[in-house]
Amino acid sequence: MMRILHVFAVCVLLAAVTVAQQAPPAQVSIQEVAQGLPADGSRWLTFGGNYENHRHSPLTQITPANVSRLKQLWTFQTATLGNFETTSLLRDNVLYVTGPQNLAWAIDARTGRQIWRYRRELPPNLTACCGLVNRGFGVLGDKLFMTTLDAHLIALDMKTGAVVWDATLADYKVGHSSTIAPLVVKDKVIVGAAGGEYGIRAFIDAYDAATGKRAWRFYTVPAPGEPGNNTWAGDSWKTGGASVWVTGAYDVEQNLLLYGIGNPGPDYHSDSRKGDNLYSNSLVALDVDTGKLKWHYQFTPHDVHDWDATEVPILADLPIAGQTRKVVMFANRNGFYYTLDRTNGKPIVAKPFVMTTWAKEIGADGRPVLIPGHTPDEKGEVTCPDLVGGTNFWQPSFDPSTRTFFVNAREVCMTFIAWKPTYTPGERFTGGSGQRVRASESPAWGALRAIDPVTGDRKWEFKFLSPSTSGILTTASGLLFSGDADGNLIALDSRSGALLWRYQMGAPLHGTSPTTYVIDGRQHLLVPSGTTLTAWVIE
Amino acid sequence: MTWRTLSAVFVSWALTWAALSAQTIPNKNPYEGNPEAILAGMGGYRVRCADCHGTDGRGVRGPDITQVWSTGRSDEGLFNTIRRGVPNSEMPAFAAPRASDRDIWQMLAYLKTLATPAPNEPPRGNAENGAKLFRTMCVACHKVNGTGGRLGPDLSRIGTARSREVLLARIRRGSEDFRAGFEPVTVTTADGAPIQGVKKNEDLFSVQIMDTRERIQGYEKDKVKAVENGKKSAMPVFGPDRLGDSDLDDLLRYLQTLRGFDPTVKQ
Repeated sequence: MMRILHVFAVCVLLAAVTVAQQAPPAQVSIQEVAQGLPADGSRWLTFGGNYENHRHSPLTQITPANVSRLKQLWTFQTATLGNFETTSLLRDNVLYVTGPQNLAWAIDARTGRQIWRYRRELPPNLTACCGLVNRGFGVLGDKLFMTTLDAHLIALDMKTGAVVWDATLADYKVGHSSTIAPLVVKDKVIVGAAGGEYGIRAFIDAYDAATGKRAWRFYTVPAPGEPGNNTWAGDSWKTGGASVWVTGAYDVEQNLLLYGIGNPGPDYHSDSRKGDNLYSNSLVALDVDTGKLKWHYQFTPHDVHDWDATEVPILADLPIAGQTRKVVMFANRNGFYYTLDRTNGKPIVAKPFVMTTWAKEIGADGRPVLIPGHTPDEKGEVTCPDLVGGTNFWQPSFDPSTRTFFVNAREVCMTFIAWKPTYTPGERFTGGSGQRVRASESPAWGALRAIDPVTGDRKWEFKFLSPSTSGILTTASGLLFSGDADGNLIALDSRSGALLWRYQMGAPLHGTSPTTYVIDGRQHLLVPSGTTLTAWVIE
Repeated sequence: MTWRTLSAVFVSWALTWAALSAQTIPNKNPYEGNPEAILAGMGGYRVRCADCHGTDGRGVRGPDITQVWSTGRSDEGLFNTIRRGVPNSEMPAFAAPRASDRDIWQMLAYLKTLATPAPNEPPRGNAENGAKLFRTMCVACHKVNGTGGRLGPDLSRIGTARSREVLLARIRRGSEDFRAGFEPVTVTTADGAPIQGVKKNEDLFSVQIMDTRERIQGYEKDKVKAVENGKKSAMPVFGPDRLGDSDLDDLLRYLQTLRGFDPTVKQ
């Protein structure tokens, strides 16, 4: 009897300890995912922090007054080549991180120690265009979802990193790959195909989170008989590209996914694909249950400068001209900032946020008013912005309390050159290229800019010597974290743009931003740069 | 020998032959003169090569490459140079799959259209006297074969990198562009002392320089009075008053003999 009592006492004690730790349920519910960033800082479960992609934390322990007391808590190193472009997820004090070359880890957020590691065996003849990177996990139930460079979507067991299911998106041998962070909505995992420089015909897919079975596919280049196919001359739609490699937003109320679509292929040669080339360089709104298109807005019809619209869309409801408008904010690679009505895709605001020489303005019909002389040919033509764009896939952020949109902007011009390409499956199919204008003629520089989305006007800017490719995190305490191209992690006052603190990381933040969360009551800042993740706390 | 053995031998031979041919680089550019390949190669060249070698191939930071064929390089050798890069130089390797064999051959097909013949004009000047002039006027800033200063670029390979015309223009008229790592800069310290040198690196918050005494040192911008970029190259202009035409010929002749330096210690 004594023995039974003893066992009972141990069980009661264990239960008490468990309750004290307030462990969340074992399974990640869709409600948790949909709630975005909680006030207690206990989780970060989607690419943008919430479905609206605000990348704005409610946490306030780290403030403009104490940010200079940030100290490193730990550093995690990938021990491999390549750089982080990932947004790490956090749940129950564990970080879930994807890295270069389709490595992934579960890491103890208290100490930076690895819990498990996943490595995908990649084929030797990969054609992934622009770096062997990955932009992060999605999560639901007990599974993590990750896209792969050989164009698969895999589900991993959160506890062990073991593969639960493996779905093939498309054939990597003809140029498909996937680097996008999956977005989990309801019971579906939303992903897209990259490979716009290889003459693929791209798509957005939804997969059943439990089984990996494909629920629907939306081709970003319509086939004959489908609306929009007449915007592609002849058979050019077959190699139209229009890839999808940056996570979109989800509008809960309208049940709509909003995703930015990449450039048409071939990138630069106009005559190879006459027409507007839908849905390249567009924002598309898809019903999440069916994948049906509700509306689209094409930022750059018949793009010839490789200006993918694969930037991050941010959703908010804003007071504009006495009305509350449901908007999507979008700083585009083509150099224009847009505030669109997200019920119909019509522009409310469209203004350049960097120097643009190819279009005078966005007309009343929503189309750019072109300035002649900016179609690349064999001799070359100079256009601003360059092919990397006024901004690109690195994440902007939005502070709802001040209604401010923050973006890392580039001021760079380029000589674009084009020639007629020949399509060979699996080989690059760009029909041109760009050469940066010499610094003595047009110096390249960058700035982190705060934009009023109601007017498109600039509130402030923080200038960089060279253009930054870092994402941005803002917090409710009025802080902004980002990085420059030279490896400096910076903290600015998000209301004024004043520099508050900096640290030389040794490698730039590229295509990703810091994130923040709370462990054991202390706010942490997590910084991915180069091949390291570094956690910081206030001392 | 049975048919089975014979066919096994044949299959084995065929596989070996196929493997060898897959690795063999043709010694002649298969795309030479092909108009489409030249156009594609122009694009590739302008994106991958022109920043260093110039749009016209006559060299910016990297060497003049318009005379590579006339000085005896083969298609195959040039292909390998592009594929593997040049060790101990800024020339990177253009590895597969980012640069396919076809990409490289197309770039070479285009470069061939920029190629110029070797100069007909007999070389002028006395290299021996040129070397003496170099030791008097240039060696404080420029290193050749391990001897000389560090403020200016090492000139040990300048004879393969720049044409006579370009060298002449640099000496007589100075340099319009600053090569990265050699931009003139003046740091004024907190106590007002100016430190002149060339810039080795810079970010928003700091600058790293080599001063005129060749001391390499970093400065935090918020702890100095000023960091000013120079408008003119640190390379002085040598007009006819400082260097006569005959001496200029001698100096140029000497520079043209500089074709690389092997730092290996010979016992």
